[in-house]
Amino acid sequence: MHAHIKQRIESTINNIAALPTIPEVAAKILNMVNDPDVSFKAVAEEISKDQAMTTNILKLCNSAYFSKGKEISSIDRAIVTLGIREVTNIVMVVAAKPLLDKFVIGYDLAKGELWKQGLLVGTMAKRIAVQRNRKDIADIVFTGGIIHNIGKTVLAIFVQNTYNDIMNEVTANNVTFSEAEKSVMGYSHEEISEKVLEKWNFPPVLKAISRYYSDPENAPKEFKQEVSIVHIANTVSIMAGIGIGSDGLFHQLSSDALEATGIKNEDLEELFSKIPEMTKQVQEIQ
Amino acid sequence: MNQTLINVGVAQVKIGQNPTILRTILGSCVGICIYDRIKKTGGLAHILLPLDTAKGATPEKYADTAIPLLVQRLLKEGCKRENMSAKIAGGASMFKFQSNVTLGQIGDRNIEETKKILEELKIPLLEEDTGGNTGRVIDFFLDDGHMKVKAAGKEKMYYKV
Repeated sequence: MHAHIKQRIESTINNIAALPTIPEVAAKILNMVNDPDVSFKAVAEEISKDQAMTTNILKLCNSAYFSKGKEISSIDRAIVTLGIREVTNIVMVVAAKPLLDKFVIGYDLAKGELWKQGLLVGTMAKRIAVQRNRKDIADIVFTGGIIHNIGKTVLAIFVQNTYNDIMNEVTANNVTFSEAEKSVMGYSHEEISEKVLEKWNFPPVLKAISRYYSDPENAPKEFKQEVSIVHIANTVSIMAGIGIGSDGLFHQLSSDALEATGIKNEDLEELFSKIPEMTKQVQEIQ
Repeated sequence: MNQTLINVGVAQVKIGQNPTILRTILGSCVGICIYDRIKKTGGLAHILLPLDTAKGATPEKYADTAIPLLVQRLLKEGCKRENMSAKIAGGASMFKFQSNVTLGQIGDRNIEETKKILEELKIPLLEEDTGGNTGRVIDFFLDDGHMKVKAAGKEKMYYKV
């Protein structure tokens, strides 16, 4: 264990200003749509306060990925046409992009790779939820899929400094990359993601997804489905080389997650085989 | 020299000429680099799965259809089969999975089928960087046909053509 690295990570996570920030509207909207009595008007007003975001949101509303064919020129229209949950998804895409669409040192991800992966995992997670008749969680796993790797952007510089030790730990003790991160640096990127989402006041389900997506067997019972779905989408994505970094495939494919979701061998292979089509789909909003 | 870099995505087949560089990123997929050393023209196929199950709808996805397609495109460019050779990379597996999960073995199955198809097409496989658990970024240089593989922070070069 590198005590000085652990200390530096601690001072980073304890210094709110050093962690990534997300537009306030993102957390507000996420928490608003969880409220069954939410008024459309209030959501539209909240979004419209941020002019720059509104412009980008409308652009996405009219993209092939989200569009329902009708031209949308206001947030009010967007909510009526696409629904409040889909608009929330779009807000999340716009809000998360600047945080993830960059070169990530340490994990060795070229600019755009982590972002592309977020969109792909979100898209695939949503698809899995719909296929498993869990439309009710399709939107939250979409958001979870997009941001589950946010902790990597914070840990990147520390991974850069300790990469060889992490890999030695992986091979010497037969542990996953995340487990090795924890034993070498004191923290895994999943734990850091959870801290970041806590700072953002994101709902517990999203914190659970980012914290447990690599070890869904340890997820709290109430969020097991959501976490397992993102675990599977993430695994299929890195196996196809989308978002694969210096951590490679030094991870697990959890049988516990397959059991929890009822996903069988043929479903997994089907998802894997559809990667090119899904990648093409997300290019639209990349 | 003015080298252009072309990214080859999942389930794509691309060809180019000296001095192009073809790049792709691989997990369990396999990248097949075929080069004509006389014409200094080559191509890269990034296959996802071993066997075509879509009846030819997306031939770029599968080893058994993408590799013949790549060879055909090279022949169309005026390459000669007797001057072609291949190098392959990728086919990694997840570090941990239960043996009854078939997707876990997809890397090995991709490598196996790729080798079988190259043999059927009588294209010599000269070098390979396959298996294990690492992701790979491969650059295929069409000036002389060498392949650079970056995996787990280290670079390796493969020169045989």
